[in-house]
Amino acid sequence: MEAATRPVFWHIEHSWFMYVLMVPSLAIFCYGLYRRYKFWRLGRPVARFDRPWERLRRVLVHVLGHGRFLRESIAGLMHGLIFWSMLLLFIGTVVVAIDTDLRIPIMRGWFYLIYQSLVLDVVGALGMVGLGIALVRRYVLRVPRLQHNREGKAPDPSDWVTLLSLFLLFVQGFALEAIRIAANPQPWDALSVVGYALAVPLRGLSQEGLIAAYQFFWWFHTVTVFGWIAYLPWSKMAHFFTSLLDVYFSDLRPPGEGTLQPIDFEKAERLGVSAITDLTWKDLLDLDACTACGRCQDVCPAYAAGQPLSPKNLILDLRDYVHAHAPALLAGKATVEELPPLVGGAIKEETLWACTTCRACMEECPVFIEHVPKIVEMRRHLVMEQASAPETLQEALKSLEDRAHPYKGATASRTDWCEGLEVPLASEVGGEIEVLYWVGCTAAFDPRNQKVARALAQLLHHAGVKFAILGPEEACCGDPARRMGNEFLYDMIARQNIEILRQYRPKRIVTACPHCQNALGNEYRQFGADFEVVHHTQLLKELVESGRLKVEAGSLGKVTFHDPCYLGRWQGEYEAPRDLLARAGADRVEMERSRSRSFCCGAGGAHAWMEETGGGPRVNQIRAREAAATGAQAIATACPFCMQMMEDGVKTTAGEEGPRVLDVAELLLQAMEETGPHTRQAQAAR
Amino acid sequence: MDPATKRPVQGSAKLVMDSYAEYALEVAIQLKEKHPGSKVVAICVGDKPTDDVLRRAYALTADEAVRVWDPAWADLDSQAVAHILARTIQKLGGADLVLTGREAGDIERGVVGPTLAEELGCACATIVARVEAVEGGTAVVRREVDGGYALVSTRLPAVLTITNDETNVPRLPKVKDLMMAARKPITTLGAADLDLDPARLASPLELVDLYIPVQEGQCEIIEGDDGPAKAAALARRLHELKLV
Ligand code: SF4
Ligand code: SF4
Repeated sequence: MEAATRPVFWHIEHSWFMYVLMVPSLAIFCYGLYRRYKFWRLGRPVARFDRPWERLRRVLVHVLGHGRFLRESIAGLMHGLIFWSMLLLFIGTVVVAIDTDLRIPIMRGWFYLIYQSLVLDVVGALGMVGLGIALVRRYVLRVPRLQHNREGKAPDPSDWVTLLSLFLLFVQGFALEAIRIAANPQPWDALSVVGYALAVPLRGLSQEGLIAAYQFFWWFHTVTVFGWIAYLPWSKMAHFFTSLLDVYFSDLRPPGEGTLQPIDFEKAERLGVSAITDLTWKDLLDLDACTACGRCQDVCPAYAAGQPLSPKNLILDLRDYVHAHAPALLAGKATVEELPPLVGGAIKEETLWACTTCRACMEECPVFIEHVPKIVEMRRHLVMEQASAPETLQEALKSLEDRAHPYKGATASRTDWCEGLEVPLASEVGGEIEVLYWVGCTAAFDPRNQKVARALAQLLHHAGVKFAILGPEEACCGDPARRMGNEFLYDMIARQNIEILRQYRPKRIVTACPHCQNALGNEYRQFGADFEVVHHTQLLKELVESGRLKVEAGSLGKVTFHDPCYLGRWQGEYEAPRDLLARAGADRVEMERSRSRSFCCGAGGAHAWMEETGGGPRVNQIRAREAAATGAQAIATACPFCMQMMEDGVKTTAGEEGPRVLDVAELLLQAMEETGPHTRQAQAAR
Repeated sequence: MDPATKRPVQGSAKLVMDSYAEYALEVAIQLKEKHPGSKVVAICVGDKPTDDVLRRAYALTADEAVRVWDPAWADLDSQAVAHILARTIQKLGGADLVLTGREAGDIERGVVGPTLAEELGCACATIVARVEAVEGGTAVVRREVDGGYALVSTRLPAVLTITNDETNVPRLPKVKDLMMAARKPITTLGAADLDLDPARLASPLELVDLYIPVQEGQCEIIEGDDGPAKAAALARRLHELKLV
């Protein structure tokens, strides 16, 4: 067995010609990659070179380990089989090159038998299984998200060329092996399981015939492989490289700090993105890394509701635009102003306004493409440069400017909600404020959410927490302005809020609105703020755990929790509300999509102020049906917008019979009132 | 509301442009865009903080902004304001079209526009929804009248008081214009700069009271065995309350 190996150029004459073929192939390959690299260089700078180890770790977990891919088992496995087999086969080829070209004899003995023969044969077969699954999913089952659905655009031929060419290359490899085994049997052949099996029917053929067939296939294989290599960077297979880079250069920051970047208004000459050169190089790399796998489209609430947005197509449309016009820019034949418009042209305005910034696409994309920043940057261009936005948004923006809240026509004051409850104003209490309760506009002005604020205030009273509110000094956190693309207004609002909050120096800030929490706690960091901001469910959980709030299981019945996008995906909190519900005695059931895969209620990204125009069921109706399907008597949530959207969704799909929608704080209070000593007190306060 | 002075209290609320004035400004800007070479001047009678309102006009691309104020004018009424505006306009060399809101959004008197026309000795069209055309010394405007519209042609100069219409929804300012607005100069004029008639500044009207009526809510649940019974009970109750 020590001598086990195989002749590399078995019966192949003029093998030098292979190296001649290699030169143009690699030249075209390198030029293809270089051309893409030149495109990326058109982008603005963005800092993505820090923390190399963490980046490598991400590559290991999500490329080598297929972390994100496996969020979907079949598709993940399919890709994994192809990927891992190609990787191992590539290593096998490198081993051959080292052995033959560098003349370092490593393809010998047990290593040859176990790796080059057994392992590579098995993974080759598995790779073909993967390719088979891919072909069946795309062309037999016709999985919707994989189908071409861009009006007026031709499908990408490399979709099928990729799969078919890979399949053929695998077949050729096995055919060569089988012929060699049939013509030149060795005692260890059985380890090459697939080749050995395929060789059986060939055994009767003449030696000359086999050698001639081998020579023919060998050259055919060589030519097709080099053709394939040259084609790589010009096809969707470029993602072998671009995806790897994209994962390496992905955003390591938490979403609240990373996703949207502030603008230096003193220096900025162009606001937002309206041209190729307004995108960052990472944005441009993103476009080349997309494989049109459609996972993002599958989870997109706007797409599900029939609105004119598919995150997949958004990326592909951007890519087409860049590929069509970047060469002219690079050659100096056109300036960005002379090119056809990007925003409003290649990308429709309605598409940009349809996004709820729920981040589902970004959470799902296996190669970490960043859709939301691109969308918001293009909105910035629309709002700040063109002063263009849907009418209802304009009203909300105007109200934000004039009245510091987005509710046009709201007449209540910021403190109406707490009438009859003892809720002190920060300006009235002296000394240090243990907890500052940031009420938020929606809880202050919307009658339904005022009740949530009351429930929370009562819970804080029960726990003996000394808290205060800003009252008339509170203003909108700026989240709606920022998501609408009005960074200028957001910038102003945020700086004012930071100034006010710094005056009072609260030890902690609590809010029942995940949008406010994300703005105050995460996004304000971009302006140097450093407030500890907790969500009410997080504070309540802490109070219950420390015994300050005594909760016993009440009879809440079956409850399902709807994860708000801005609490879950944006800030990573999935457990605190669930934990509270369990303690309050809820019989918790999960919806089909929950936690990081939760389906948006339809309100984010300033959609609370917009009309949906899809025509089909609205996002909130889809979600309300999903919630009702669990059989829950109550839908619990933890965000004022989710509250409004889910209530409306239930009302318009199930009517009176549908489940009730309650905030976690309300359910907690309900359980305490049923069981605890606070009952009378609480009733008095109502 | 301050019960002693009978004046609204501003508190921490921001000073904003009156909403009818916003419509008027939008009409002015649209006219300017249609007639190159014309100029929009925003004029405001008010103290220093009202600069914010003029900056808004700048952000919406007005060409010039003028604020007129004198510390002695603590409490001007509409007639006095019209007089000051007229003198200001004359001082600035006159205008072909003077646009005002149809009335102040808060006090709703609608006196300034017509009085201003009187002071300037020119024509006045009130409650104008659209300016259809301005040509050769005349303007054709569309006035809102009960249940319909009236097309009116008027000689220039003229004062138009503007009402809201789908064609004059105020635009959003561009951020560039907003940023530039902060740097543009606001011309300030005082009583000494204008040829005012003190008699016209004194108000013949006196505000006797200003109040918000107290509103009380009451909730009543209408009982009934089924839908129709409840509806009948509700109708009866509404009749009793003389609401229908
Ligand atoms: S953020 Fe949400 S709504 Fe926007 S494109 Fe992604 S999945 Fe769709
Ligand atoms: S953006 Fe990501 S998830 Fe969407 S199609 Fe492209 S690769 Fe797939």
